[in-house]
Amino acid sequence: MPAFSGQLVVFGFASFFALAFAVLMVVQRTPVRSVLSLVVTFFGLSVLAVLLAAPFIAALQIFVYAGAILVLFLFVIMLLNLKEEAADEDDRPVQRTLGLLVALALGGLLAGATLRAPAPPRGTPSLSSIPSPDEIPALGRLLFSDYLLAFEALSLLLLVAAVGALLLSKRKFE
Amino acid sequence: MTGALPGVAPMAVPPGAFLVVGTLLFAIGLAGALLKRNAISIFLSIELMMNAVNLLFLTYARMRGDLAGQMIVFFVIAVAAAEAAVGLAIFVALFRVRRTVDVDKIALLKW
Repeated sequence: MPAFSGQLVVFGFASFFALAFAVLMVVQRTPVRSVLSLVVTFFGLSVLAVLLAAPFIAALQIFVYAGAILVLFLFVIMLLNLKEEAADEDDRPVQRTLGLLVALALGGLLAGATLRAPAPPRGTPSLSSIPSPDEIPALGRLLFSDYLLAFEALSLLLLVAAVGALLLSKRKFE
Repeated sequence: MTGALPGVAPMAVPPGAFLVVGTLLFAIGLAGALLKRNAISIFLSIELMMNAVNLLFLTYARMRGDLAGQMIVFFVIAVAAAEAAVGLAIFVALFRVRRTVDVDKIALLKW
């Protein structure tokens, strides 16, 4: 089965890159490098989305996340001229180990719980089978029928966020 | 835990692998949010956590053969965009006043 192993190889590469660059993002002390590592992670995640038969979300991930949100982060970091984090005056070893322990414990707990959980029941099928060429039209139809209210609320939210961001970053902020 | 539910094409990669990658990414993001001191880096870690959850949503959507999971991811991405705009504007305003985005130095509301 060549298709089978091909997908596995792509999955391995994408998840390796996503995880490795996520770790790099946390380890990195320079904010610009953190953002660039996160871009690679998001590209890996978008490949994983393609493997999960979600091409629309994969495109959205690159356009909106890597393209818009992370560029916004880059702009702000360069605007504020953030360099490396200052060397810690006090290292706070207790907090560091505690934070790391909590993250590790939660990660292990969640991984165990999700692996043990029974497979979710089949939902009300919106499609006969989900990897299908009709998927993006079906998403659009869903968006403008079942999720219309949420969609309109979202547009309002984006407008309010844009106005709020303008207001907050005005020079005379009192 | 197989993806071979009736009517859903079987998955070449076992869904459990996607779930593990998603939870690991979530844990890495949490570690970043807890360990970083630069407010913007903390924000970045939270973005990573949201993306990890998005991956889980997509996996379950695929397992259930239901598009609702992909719909939720769409909304999460849009809300994250709004949140990033407002959050970064707050950091810029804060930086104007305090000349720092180090969360240890911005502790006015701490106690």
